Amino acid sequence: MKYKIWIGIVALGVFIFAIPQVLEGYSMNVMNVALLFSIVAYGISIMMGMGGQLSFASVSFMGGGAYFIANVCTNRFGINMPTLPALLLTPVVFAVIAFVIGLFLFKLKGTYFTFSTIALVQVAYTFFNNYKPIFGGADGISGIPTLNLFGYKFTSYNKWFYVIVACVIIVAVLVERIRRTQLGRSLASIRDNETAALTLGVNVYMTKVIAFSIAGALAAFAGALWCMHGKFVGADMFNYANAAQFIIMAMLGGVNNTIGIVVGAILVKVLPELLRSLQAYMQLIWGIAIIVLMVFMPSGRAGLYERVREKVGSFIDKNKPGTGKEQPHETSSKA
Amino acid sequence: MDFTLFSTLVINGLAMGVIYAMLAMGLILLIRAVGILNFAQGDLLMFGAFISSSLILDFELPLFIMIPLALLSFCIVGLIFMFAIYWPLRKASYPAATIIATMGASIVLKEVATFIWGALPRSLSPILTDEAGKAAILYIGSVPLQWQYVLIIVVGSILIFLIFMLFEKLYVGKMMQAACQDAYAANLLGVPTIVTIAATYMIVSVLASVGGYLVAPIFMVRNTLGTLQLRAFAGVVIGGFGNIKGAIVGSILVGLIEVFSTVSFSGYKDVTVFLLLIVFLVIRPQGLFGEKIADKA
Amino acid sequence: MKPVLRLDGISKRFGGVVAAKDITFAVLPGEVHGLIGPNGAGKSTLMNIISGIYTPDKGTVYLRERDITKVPSFERARIGIGRTFQTPRFMQRSNIRDNLLMGTDLANQMGYLSSFIGKKGNPFEEELAELMEVAKFTFRWEDNISSLPFGKRKLLEIVRSMLGHPKVMLVDEPAAGLNNKEIEYAMDLLNLAARKRGIGVLLIEHSMDMIMDICDDIVVINFGEVIASGGPEQIASNPLVIEAYLGGDDDAEN
Repeated sequence: MKYKIWIGIVALGVFIFAIPQVLEGYSMNVMNVALLFSIVAYGISIMMGMGGQLSFASVSFMGGGAYFIANVCTNRFGINMPTLPALLLTPVVFAVIAFVIGLFLFKLKGTYFTFSTIALVQVAYTFFNNYKPIFGGADGISGIPTLNLFGYKFTSYNKWFYVIVACVIIVAVLVERIRRTQLGRSLASIRDNETAALTLGVNVYMTKVIAFSIAGALAAFAGALWCMHGKFVGADMFNYANAAQFIIMAMLGGVNNTIGIVVGAILVKVLPELLRSLQAYMQLIWGIAIIVLMVFMPSGRAGLYERVREKVGSFIDKNKPGTGKEQPHETSSKA
Repeated sequence: MDFTLFSTLVINGLAMGVIYAMLAMGLILLIRAVGILNFAQGDLLMFGAFISSSLILDFELPLFIMIPLALLSFCIVGLIFMFAIYWPLRKASYPAATIIATMGASIVLKEVATFIWGALPRSLSPILTDEAGKAAILYIGSVPLQWQYVLIIVVGSILIFLIFMLFEKLYVGKMMQAACQDAYAANLLGVPTIVTIAATYMIVSVLASVGGYLVAPIFMVRNTLGTLQLRAFAGVVIGGFGNIKGAIVGSILVGLIEVFSTVSFSGYKDVTVFLLLIVFLVIRPQGLFGEKIADKA
Repeated sequence: MKPVLRLDGISKRFGGVVAAKDITFAVLPGEVHGLIGPNGAGKSTLMNIISGIYTPDKGTVYLRERDITKVPSFERARIGIGRTFQTPRFMQRSNIRDNLLMGTDLANQMGYLSSFIGKKGNPFEEELAELMEVAKFTFRWEDNISSLPFGKRKLLEIVRSMLGHPKVMLVDEPAAGLNNKEIEYAMDLLNLAARKRGIGVLLIEHSMDMIMDICDDIVVINFGEVIASGGPEQIASNPLVIEAYLGGDDDAEN
């Protein structure tokens, strides 16, 4: 198994080196945004992949993070915070907000809860779109300063790429760590049978709230980066349709597959750009692709990416001499 | 506020409430009889609106021909929807998969509608118009009410009532629910599961599409009509999940609240409805009529 | 000796159905206590009441003489009520390691943050090895749980429960679906739990062989009421019990 990790690291290194050589300007913008979206998708992975809770709320927390930066770093209310502390403050603030909201929303179960997150998105969107003093109304807020890291200003998309990749890697490592520790296991037990989880000592309610807070913090963090990257925030981004898109992004790569999430996010953002010629049909293809994807997910595992990886993996395994897959065996000390 | 304004708002609210109730009823039917949460419900309404308006505007069919044709088309759409979404996914191990697939279907329905009928909204005149071609008004005392709203309330209520009787009281409906809950037993009892499921999808499609036809003159026929489903979601939850009666009452409530809040906070009417939903959920999670949520090991 | 688990006057109705009526009995530490009765007698309801999934209409549940009737379900698991199910409840999509770790998580109770930063729980490898030797099979950590056949999963569920260091184990029909050898191993595990670890085992079973073999004390339920209690010989010869089982041929029920 170890060689897979090394291949992964090498591939990552190639990716980090090659992309800025190949892309710039608009296309780099797209890649950066795709990577930022993957951070949001990671939050969804925790909630849905691990915990089995379908939540649309991430998009509103993303907006929260973005508007937070937009208000706190631009002297709108007399506060002019430098971007780095504001950025680091964002996930903390929104973890708390998400926690409080989660305490209320998780009094509901299953689909009730999902509907309540949709309600949340609608409420948030309406405020984002209408309340000028904080959110700038339909025009949004522009002129947001770019990230300033101890004096180094990220003024080009290519420069942004590195910091965004670093953030994605950190988030990925965190999420994977969660998966392998008690929180991840407890969420999995909730996903598979809530009542049984209770009998195993899992505080189902609080665990869900915690997962929701982490997802909210991640989304807010991504939103903060996003608005500094694009130097603009507007309500359009944070609507129900995009909420659905984030969920699909997470499912695409394999909602429980840490690498697949990034792949899914990149596919969703980049593919439409590559298929420019099919612009008119893009949405239709997208819709059909979603349905097809859900149909062909093999039982128990999610994501096109995982299927492909399985096929590639088994191909490699079959063709390596001496490492045929071991069969599970049992030994009884007595017959 | 004067009485005229009040009555107008009430009628408008009830009418929208009935539309939401039709959507909500379809949602619950699909959940209880088929076990799927349909995020394309509003788009079925939208598609129904397009079909109806096309039959009237493009084919210039008189009402008595248009209605049976439209109903037939709605059933066909329902069947196609079932074969595309439900059938391949009926054994999916990830319940979220079906939900996401309906999200995909929502997009597909929008795009197909745009391809067939174009991206521009179309206007459809109300069912009853006066000599000048404008919306006919019904006068109750001195209060003017738009006939279209009244028709929505009447037609919608009748349809809801009929289907409610089918599902809550009559054997057929209970059989369909049983078929969902235990396909094996239902098969043993001679209820062909696929038939009951197909019937459910057709009924749901008709409910939503008729709603689309009724509401088209008010909102114009456009591919964004699907967002009406969000109000239906709110109605379903407020009413108490899984409960048809609750969903209907909840949806009508939502319609009324929405309309009345446009008086004071026009831009924020969504906030009123959905904030109320959240507050409601927190205070009374089981909704108005739901049972207390009981867990079993 | 003070009982580790005690029910006092437990009553529960579901609408018109009386699931439990004035149920009173106690389980001592280190004892295997049978809970038997015909199908539908109310045994699983009692289990659910003890683990906190149902709230009784009347009566009290005591864990080590502490009133836990109002304690939420997950808290009861943490203070020592373990449970296994007729159909094993594992995380289907996870591997055996993660599933077993749920058991040790319960024993360690270190909290999510400590687990995240890598705090090590108490070592459990020896304990697990001892248990697996009794259960008589091996597995690979990384295998998916569903790769184990039904019988082994049931045995593993008992193992997982014991890894949680409970004070009481509620065991629901461990023999159902197991072959004779596996039933033997299950009994060995339960004996180990009771005799060696001092756990109070409350055992629902239809297999009279197992009940008679392993139980120190038995309580018999029918129609939600206790109709008899006592040692195996007493119960086997009790006319009320025999009548309740319609001739006492228990195997015909399976």
